[in-house]
Amino acid sequence: MRDPDEELVRRIGAGDKRAASEIVRRHLPRMVSLARRMLGDAAEAEDVAQEVFLRVWRHAAGWKPGQAKFETWMHRVAMNLCLDRLRRSGRNGGEIPPETVDGRASATRALDDRQRRERVREALQALPERQRAALVLCYYQDRTNIEAAEILGISVDALESLLSRARRTLKSALAAERADLLSGLETG
Amino acid sequence: MNEARFMELLSAYGADLMRWPEDHRAVAEAFLEVAPHRIKDIWESERSFDHLLALEKDAHVSVALESRVLASAPARRGATGPASGRSLWSLPKWATGGALAASLALGFAVGYASEPIRPPESNYASMLTISGGGAGSMFLTAMSDGGR
Repeated sequence: MRDPDEELVRRIGAGDKRAASEIVRRHLPRMVSLARRMLGDAAEAEDVAQEVFLRVWRHAAGWKPGQAKFETWMHRVAMNLCLDRLRRSGRNGGEIPPETVDGRASATRALDDRQRRERVREALQALPERQRAALVLCYYQDRTNIEAAEILGISVDALESLLSRARRTLKSALAAERADLLSGLETG
Repeated sequence: MNEARFMELLSAYGADLMRWPEDHRAVAEAFLEVAPHRIKDIWESERSFDHLLALEKDAHVSVALESRVLASAPARRGATGPASGRSLWSLPKWATGGALAASLALGFAVGYASEPIRPPESNYASMLTISGGGAGSMFLTAMSDGGR
């Protein structure tokens, strides 16, 4: 399948500002979203997204089509930058947000979407980084299992194992929200 | 596809078959159609969990960030794309020099036209104020004071 970014990348390599503008419009939101979900910090996510594009400008002229899709390469760069930052700062999830330990407070009140979203965000941040990375790529960045495995440098089997563990952990962390959502769907 | 494999994939990819490996989607759909209620209930439960996860929305991208990223993009002279028109860089050198000379001449003319009568004792502080004179006034005052 032809890479939809191939022509743009060639033009960027030749110094075409319009092509640069187009690729920013096409991919900047995804890069910011990926980094924000991985790092849990909006300012850091912007730094990562900027760094990804600096690398795009640097590598566009030498890009060889036919290897990986350019967008997959961008995802790999973004993910590696995020994982580097997480390791350098010693953050690796693993902490269950306080409200989940005692979910009764949430279960007794109806949550609105904003609160549920916040809880999902917290639970995502509490996942170990590899599980979070797998989930972010497959569930939020719409990467195929093959692309996600390639980005993380693991086999598809290993990716599926990470995804299963991530879902299991999230189900337990979001049990109250899940029950609340279900009751909302039943009564609504 | 057997039940064990279906459950394995369901636990990894969730209930949205579009997320499943491409070569398993059709078989999974066929399997689900004839599956016992027990399996269908599990699939429904996974679907509700997918809804919960989907509440986490994409990040908003600020105009400021977009501008910063775009400003970092390199550009080569004359490589502005087919529809972008001629830039100053793509004009002949004589035209670029002519435009700069014309701008300077206009600046001097405006400066002279708006030049007030200077007080006899001008100092460095008044040289930096533009009250009573235009940009040309400030420039000429600086020139004359600098020569003292």
